[in-house]
Amino acid sequence: MRLPRWSGARTRRLVQLTFLLLFLLAFLATRPIPGREPPGWAKIFFWFDPLLLITTVLAAHSVVAWGLLALITIGVTVVLGRVFCGWLCPLGTVHDIAGRIIRGRKDRPGVNQYSPWQKTKYYVLVGMLAAAVFGGHWITIFDPLVLFYRSLTTALFPVVQWAVEEGSASIYHADPKVGPLRVTTLTEPAYRAFRDHLRVVEKQGFLATAGILGFFVAIVALNAYRRRWWCRYLCPLGALLGLCAWRPFLRRTVDPETCSQCELCGMACHGGAVSNKAQTWRPSECYGCLNCTEDCRRGSLGFRWVWPWRPDKRIVGVNLSRRGILASAIGGVTLLGFFRATPQGRAKVYNPNLIRPPGARPEPEFLARCTACGLCMKVCPTGGLQPCGLEAGWEGLWTPRLVPKIGYCSYDCNRCGLVCPTEAIRPMKLEEKRKVRMGLAFFDITRCIPYAYGRDCMVCEEHCPIPEKAIYFLEVEVVTRDGEVRRIKQPKVDPTKCIGCGVCENVCVFRDRSAIRVTSANEDRHPANLAVPPWEDLPY
Amino acid sequence: MVFASRREFLLQAGAAAAAGGSGALGAQMAGSAPAMAIARWAGPQELPAEEIDKVAEQLTLKALEAVGGISRFVRRGDVVWVKPNIAWIQPPEMAANTNPAVVATIVRLCFEAGAKVVKVGDNPVDVVDQAYERSGIAAAARKVGAQVVIMDRARFRRVDIKGERLQSIPIYPEVLDADVVINVPIAKHHGLATITVAMKNFMGVVEERRTFHQAIGETLTDLNRFLQPKISVVDAVRVLVARGPRGGRLEDVRMPLAVAAGTDVVALDAWAAEVLGRKPEEISSVVCGHKAGLGTMNYQSLNPVEIAVS
Repeated sequence: MRLPRWSGARTRRLVQLTFLLLFLLAFLATRPIPGREPPGWAKIFFWFDPLLLITTVLAAHSVVAWGLLALITIGVTVVLGRVFCGWLCPLGTVHDIAGRIIRGRKDRPGVNQYSPWQKTKYYVLVGMLAAAVFGGHWITIFDPLVLFYRSLTTALFPVVQWAVEEGSASIYHADPKVGPLRVTTLTEPAYRAFRDHLRVVEKQGFLATAGILGFFVAIVALNAYRRRWWCRYLCPLGALLGLCAWRPFLRRTVDPETCSQCELCGMACHGGAVSNKAQTWRPSECYGCLNCTEDCRRGSLGFRWVWPWRPDKRIVGVNLSRRGILASAIGGVTLLGFFRATPQGRAKVYNPNLIRPPGARPEPEFLARCTACGLCMKVCPTGGLQPCGLEAGWEGLWTPRLVPKIGYCSYDCNRCGLVCPTEAIRPMKLEEKRKVRMGLAFFDITRCIPYAYGRDCMVCEEHCPIPEKAIYFLEVEVVTRDGEVRRIKQPKVDPTKCIGCGVCENVCVFRDRSAIRVTSANEDRHPANLAVPPWEDLPY
Repeated sequence: MVFASRREFLLQAGAAAAAGGSGALGAQMAGSAPAMAIARWAGPQELPAEEIDKVAEQLTLKALEAVGGISRFVRRGDVVWVKPNIAWIQPPEMAANTNPAVVATIVRLCFEAGAKVVKVGDNPVDVVDQAYERSGIAAAARKVGAQVVIMDRARFRRVDIKGERLQSIPIYPEVLDADVVINVPIAKHHGLATITVAMKNFMGVVEERRTFHQAIGETLTDLNRFLQPKISVVDAVRVLVARGPRGGRLEDVRMPLAVAAGTDVVALDAWAAEVLGRKPEEISSVVCGHKAGLGTMNYQSLNPVEIAVS
């Protein structure tokens, strides 16, 4: 098959842009809408991701049925090569755009030559898959779809939101006029459209985003050194697909009659797949982007169907060394050991601040599934789900936790479980989710106003969403500074009813450190972390 | 003529002055309109769910009619802010938010009285758009042509209210800019304030309200004295008698099937306290409001019109 010179790369760019826009659309469509469940297709990109499928099968011995769609991706790659990377991957498209902006249209000769360092990604993959066999799922946090989604959710979109909210608010308050026209007649409808259709919750922001944003900016900026630096050297999904594209059916061909060995094709190749004056081809590095056929002035290049068993001397394989594979595997398992050989990793202690979303599986199983994609954080209507720093150890980097001070777990929401692509958070019906204990609330009586200052307050009690009220009060007598005896209401937590949703901590009068705080104690996913069993017949 | 309060005097004087332009009939109505009316359902007490909305509508119509009709408060071309209680993500049957039928009826009446724009909005405690949706109020109000407004926190403007407790407080500006605010609370139990009705409903147009609870009576008096509510309609169709203000158990909901309208928030709160099985003197905001001259806790002194609707 010979694709017409003029169409191949241009068609590919169009497809790339379409998929980037679809990805962004799926990102925006996860916005929680009252009375509606998040759309199932919000996670469709993740279903087609074979890295998530394979690592989840290895680590958690389980598969989400829709995740089997990733077998299609593998099949396509076996037949066509890494076209996923070249045509579909939204992060790949971002790299292409960044490379075009930073490096311009053309590279000098030699820049795009193959580097043996490109094998790094395969060794990383091997090491991480070895770790996955022992339950470590860490590689998926570097999956391109995952890291792009996470960067969008926690770092990039909040910046846009900040600009829109602060900008429109300052215009609203200044209320400038251009002649008879008030500027707000334009900015307010625009702001309201953003508010009603795009953003999740006002003033949304995330913790621990310096690393997320830094990582994203770094890999995009590295296009300055090599186009698609990430795809070439590190991308674990690229590596996996590269292995699948070992001997694709669709192969690059060179017409020896017309080829002048000018190397224009090698200069145009963003994967370093062409070398030796256009004579050799590395299918595992080729994105099928058709840049080479576009740039060939003699029309010597094409892609042609070939039976995979047909020997082809021009094809160069991945050529991993046995020693390298072994070292990587040992390295991966060692890294996992390093991650887990901690007091928390061994479940000797529990981090009080690690409050997982409702329905999160027990920690080892949760980590064996969670990719830290950020979908749950994106759909959380209060913005309370936040990426971890090291609260869950290195292995739990950027995985979700509830930070009640920022946002609580809404009693009327079960979205995080519904959107989780690997079911690290179990999908549950609302009635079921309402019974899940995530933690337990504690009063800090050195701060709580009725305790410390003898005044009524009770904001927490008012907000407690449990119909039977997990926060109740006792009327007590307190003596004031002047010796006067006052009757006030002191709030208490009923441990048999508290689910640790954190709304009390969120609404406490103290904006710096709440006088009622939720910790992970009593979370029902860890029987060993149960401190006050919910035995209703015992006094409390 | 004896006026219940200074505010009532000013209101009626203002209404009379305005009526000077609109004819003798208006003056007569304004002069004779009572300060409070209570409409109660006298029909069968066992009502199917779909009938309750119709009853709520009838009660609202009769109560407002008895205090002189909505045109006593809303004039042609006015921008009206209707302030229901939409604090929680709860359906109407839980009695945590104002009944949507009451709100929709008031919106309709405002348009009939010639209002240019009717805005409906609250500053919910729960997730805003979910509370608007689940309460049924957003849909009901939109259906009759109201603008459902989300109060953006970044749009609040700090206002000097020079109260005893509250010196200044961020208030949502569109509420202040409206020609008339119609206060449409629901009567319900509240863990700290004991009850929350008309006076407390205005906590839904301000920010920085978390500290109010430390002196709930005085802060609510400050707020109401500044806002000078002209007309309040208390929804006691369904009420929450325990585990308020959020509720969530049908066992805690009662059905007095009543709506009261009036110009005196203190008197309305005193009435609602009795509906909820409390005494007005137990309610600190009622007592504070009475002492401050905001209104009277002895609501019977206003000779409220009692209407039986069936």
